[in-house]
Amino acid sequence: MNSLAVSLADEMAALVARLQRSLVVLHNGRAGVGAGVIWKRDGLVVTNHHVVAAHRGRSGNRDLRVELFDGRVYPARVVSQDEEIDLALLQVDGAFKDEQNQELPEVQIADVADLRIGEMVMAIGHPWGQRGMVTLGLVSGIFSAKTQGRRGQVEIIRSDARLAPGNSGGPLVDASGRVVGLNTLIIGGDQGMAISGQVINSFVEQSGKVLEQ
Amino acid sequence: MTSNNNNTLVALSAAMADAVEKAGASTVTVDARQRMPASGIAYSAEMVLTADHVVERDEDISVQLPDGSRVSAALAGRDPGNDLALLKLTGAGLVPAETSAAPARIGQLALALGRPSQEGIQASLGVVSALGGPVRTGSGGLLEKYLRTDAIPYPGFSGGPLVDASGYLLGVNTSGLARGVSLTIPVSLAWQVAEALAQHGSVRRGFLGIRSQPVSINGAAQRLLGRSQSTGLLLVGVEESSPADEGGLIVGDILVGLQEAVIDDPDELLVRLSGSIVGQQAAVEVLRGGQPLKLSVKIGERK
Repeated sequence: MNSLAVSLADEMAALVARLQRSLVVLHNGRAGVGAGVIWKRDGLVVTNHHVVAAHRGRSGNRDLRVELFDGRVYPARVVSQDEEIDLALLQVDGAFKDEQNQELPEVQIADVADLRIGEMVMAIGHPWGQRGMVTLGLVSGIFSAKTQGRRGQVEIIRSDARLAPGNSGGPLVDASGRVVGLNTLIIGGDQGMAISGQVINSFVEQSGKVLEQ
Repeated sequence: MTSNNNNTLVALSAAMADAVEKAGASTVTVDARQRMPASGIAYSAEMVLTADHVVERDEDISVQLPDGSRVSAALAGRDPGNDLALLKLTGAGLVPAETSAAPARIGQLALALGRPSQEGIQASLGVVSALGGPVRTGSGGLLEKYLRTDAIPYPGFSGGPLVDASGYLLGVNTSGLARGVSLTIPVSLAWQVAEALAQHGSVRRGFLGIRSQPVSINGAAQRLLGRSQSTGLLLVGVEESSPADEGGLIVGDILVGLQEAVIDDPDELLVRLSGSIVGQQAAVEVLRGGQPLKLSVKIGERK
């Protein structure tokens, strides 16, 4: 009778364990901690603009560091940013390949055009500094939010998964563990808003930094 | 990197999306107050059940259907006590909501749906957290039964459905009964009210013409009643020429039953006096001088 619930729990635990490897902690000087996602295995990381914007060091340069799931820390630089849609693309600098010459564990990206309201999603991030915390919910709505800038609007995925400060820049993933959006608290407060994965894709592509696979 | 050994989760996720799609086809936008539209449920092809408190005006009500078309609606009736209102549409061709055959169970998955804007259907997931009632409501009414869930009641979800994991209706969500806290009116009660509103435009409330207070019933009287019932309602006043007076009730009687129902507190009496019992001869059971006695009272209507 309970085998369904047990296999559900096992699957979710395995999925979370896999995703946490693609989740990074972003240290932005003294501005605190945010989340980011390894978008490409060669070291491209996507996060929220506001996570990396807050602080500049004494020299005027940003002191950005990316901490991987296994505790390794590397410096990172901003490749591209768009305040209007609250996205930033970072490049992790350094010899991050491990002994087996493996690159970073990149995420899979969902086709948001196929996303249905009611699909189950999980948000992963570092709310209140709690590393890799997971909340469960579903896709509550998909809509356009007004923005301040030339775009005028951005596609938003709303979920009922609980978010808190520190979730910003962390992924919202579907039942297969594919990223459907990037959680942000800039729009809608704690209402579980995520910038659509399609928006992130075109942002990354426009950044001209998509490397050959 | 891919390891799709999560078939249960993927299947559950798809089932949830299916449930939203199914129930969403019967969920409409109700535009009957300033600025903040709410939700409604298709009760029949031309009737929408919604929350009474979101229908702030009696005229100029419009309903937006799942296909995006907008139709005007007339108010068919209100039941402020249960915070329900029924709207009549013409030629809408709604898909009536399918109700759950089994009553809600604590712990079962439930989806709260709403369509408060043109952005389309919205959903939130939770479990049935509690079942309760009867409870007195802010509007002076008495809610016979309610459910609570931990799904998020987004703005404009009032009047929308709570459905099970297959999309079948469990109840009507409203934040208008308990000072903004979201409750769900179970579908059995909501549909009963909708039927009364469709027929009479209001829910008929029965009238006896008594004043009463709860008292305890001693063991000897309980044995004579043939059941364990520790309280009843002591009549401390009977209005002259009222249904109670004409039925033979007198001050000092302890009211213990109405029809087949045990009456052990005033809320229970209020619940049992509403609906089809109004205007009917009803069996009233009292204790008089410690002895059980059955009387027949024609239930009046509270205007």
